[in-house]
Amino acid sequence: MNLPDIVDRTGAYYCLDCGICTGSCPVSRIFPDFSPRLMVEKVLVDQEENPLEDINVWACLSCGQCSVRCPSEIDYPEFVRLIREEAVLQGKTGTPAHRGLFQTIMRMQTMDVKQSKTEWAREIGNISTSGDVYFFVGCAPFFDVEFHDDWGLDMMDSPRGSLKLLNAVGIDPVIHDDERCCGHDLFWNGDTENFVKLARKNVELIRSLGCKQVVFSCPEGYMTFKNRYPEFVGELGFEPIHLYELLTREANSGKIKFEPLETRLTYHDPCRLGRQAGILEEPRELLKAIPGVELTEMEHNRQSGICCGTSAWMNCSACSKSIQKKRIEEAISVGAETLVTACPKCRAHLSCALRDMETPLQIRDLNEILAQAIKL
Amino acid sequence: MLDVGRHPKINVLAYSEVVDFNGEIGNFNVKVRRKPRYIDASRCTACGACAEKCPTKVPNEFNFGFDDRKAIYKDYAQGIPSVFTIDPDHCKVILGGKCGVCQKVCQAKAVDYEQKESFVDLNVASVIVSTGYELFDATQIPEYGYGRMPNVISSLEMERLLSAGGPTRGHLSRPSVIYGEKRLKELPKLIKKAEKDQKEDQKQILEQEMKRIEEQVHKYHTAKKLAFIQCVGSRDFRFHKYCSNYCCMHSIKEAIIAREHEHETESYIFYMDLRTVGKGFEEYKVRGAEVSGLKYIRGRVAEILQDEEMNPVVYYEDTEKRQVVGMTFDMVILANACSPSKGIRNISELLGLELDENQFVRTSPNNPLDTNVPGIFSCGCAQGPLDIPESVAQASSAAARAAEVVMTEGLPIAV
Repeated sequence: MNLPDIVDRTGAYYCLDCGICTGSCPVSRIFPDFSPRLMVEKVLVDQEENPLEDINVWACLSCGQCSVRCPSEIDYPEFVRLIREEAVLQGKTGTPAHRGLFQTIMRMQTMDVKQSKTEWAREIGNISTSGDVYFFVGCAPFFDVEFHDDWGLDMMDSPRGSLKLLNAVGIDPVIHDDERCCGHDLFWNGDTENFVKLARKNVELIRSLGCKQVVFSCPEGYMTFKNRYPEFVGELGFEPIHLYELLTREANSGKIKFEPLETRLTYHDPCRLGRQAGILEEPRELLKAIPGVELTEMEHNRQSGICCGTSAWMNCSACSKSIQKKRIEEAISVGAETLVTACPKCRAHLSCALRDMETPLQIRDLNEILAQAIKL
Repeated sequence: MLDVGRHPKINVLAYSEVVDFNGEIGNFNVKVRRKPRYIDASRCTACGACAEKCPTKVPNEFNFGFDDRKAIYKDYAQGIPSVFTIDPDHCKVILGGKCGVCQKVCQAKAVDYEQKESFVDLNVASVIVSTGYELFDATQIPEYGYGRMPNVISSLEMERLLSAGGPTRGHLSRPSVIYGEKRLKELPKLIKKAEKDQKEDQKQILEQEMKRIEEQVHKYHTAKKLAFIQCVGSRDFRFHKYCSNYCCMHSIKEAIIAREHEHETESYIFYMDLRTVGKGFEEYKVRGAEVSGLKYIRGRVAEILQDEEMNPVVYYEDTEKRQVVGMTFDMVILANACSPSKGIRNISELLGLELDENQFVRTSPNNPLDTNVPGIFSCGCAQGPLDIPESVAQASSAAARAAEVVMTEGLPIAV
């Protein structure tokens, strides 16, 4: 897409040059060179510098904090993504994190690979081979490869918790070995070509299984299926639903109950789940339903929740670390014993920063906590 | 306003609402419900003895809850007609309890707890709709912390703090101090009660709170460093797309007055572009900077946080210097947008008026006071955001248009 079309599509020509975006941006607070306002201005007025060559394009976290506050409702993350898409077509890219390992794993999945993605589930719970409800496990098993031995961080806590919770409300979901990465990261890296390949494979698989509902615990998978897939693969033919929507419904009708858990928690809103999907209260309601849990709020919460510092495994930098440390300090300052996240990536990123900090604070996955407390 | 109240040919039906309406130009029938004041308006002399003795305290809406009024009250001192009213939601007698103090002290024998609503039927040739506006509810912008942080206030709250007749007699006290002082009055009683009930933990918590507030109240009494934030809800696609017209001048005026009240006051006005359009307005802006030391900063504020001492910390990009800055203030004043009044939908349905896309009364540039119904005119903020000089000009103009109808009995006059 050429630049005028990108401006058109994201409403960037409505820019009032007011600076709310840059004032809100977590990156700009640490890297003064990064400015969403100036990036839009560059594309709109002076095209002396080629915006596609601007390395700042790759520093955006696509967290959307600017967009929800923008008085002109400019879709800034989409603006950046479209520029990245164009840059990739011209052979440019950012600096992938973890030596590009995850991008390689994702691209491998566009091919016919034989995967084993159900073994863990059989060991700990009940799954089905056919039925109405599909559980989209997401990439946690792949992340586990990178983090498990190095940091002792068990990324499988989240899917295990989800399965246990689904089983507890009487759902034995379908899980399949052929499930692919949802493509979220490649999409935000500007690699739309491979994203579409992954999207097709996933949608064809779930359609062929005849499932009517797909449950997600990963916020990125949920948002990508719900908001992005239809544009590329047409009507899905099934309903994407988030685990917490489903659980809140069950909890409100009294079908699930929790054992007491004496602890002081604070909840970190993942950008995709909170600000972007609008699932802000459900995780909090579920935590509050656990007797003994004291839920405190950090200074930045809900719509103003701060990003975990890096996104789509791209451009992890000193800036990312500063953002993460600030976030952890917020959690400590409200006296929380545990920082609860609901996205496997938030957990990995914040845990990474925690390694350099001396604090008894724990970082745990919401699914794991709920699964631990649920009354069976 | 007092002139209107005294005018022999103007009949003011305050505390009333239109409940039925029909007819056409030159011949409209209006049914008005007069709400019971529980006071005989023809007897009340507004001496105020009743309110002095009334035992029931209610947060004062006119002062935005900074102080209390009584259950028998006058909305504000200059209001017309100058009579007291009993608030039926709080008066003990009307709620079925025992009291009757106001009736006892009223020498004019004006108090009537049994008063019922009444209806008035009017036949009029012409109608002017001037129902005003509503202040934009800034809690809709959570990042500004309004309603959550005591020292972030609206432009009208600032107006009351600056007023010599206001809750602080014009002294610019920080709201955290006003609330703190209120709490300090309650705390000794609560501590005594905890002591009596032998609740040692609770007593300690209360004592700590008292110490903390005492320190706060003592240390940060007067707000001297002020931030004025423009376009709160205006020129914003999420809320009101339009410019609210008067806020730039209003903020400058408040900042200048604050400086007159306390010469150490330092004010910063955060704007996108200062729209000082009008006779003498630009000069006033310049005077603000030169004489009153106002600092104008180009950049809309991104968010407001609060430090441990309840000071608002304002984050913004100074778009001229291209810098993201966090600056600490004593108090933040939001320039809330001019929102359409809540009752406008109801009255427009009753009168058959068309509203525009922003829910103001629709008028056209060529006939700026005419509505879609012949004989019904509209002026002031009912038809869109207007400042005082323009509202006054429109009011005179609307009155003249209505008088035309009365004189010609609805027939068009040749121009």
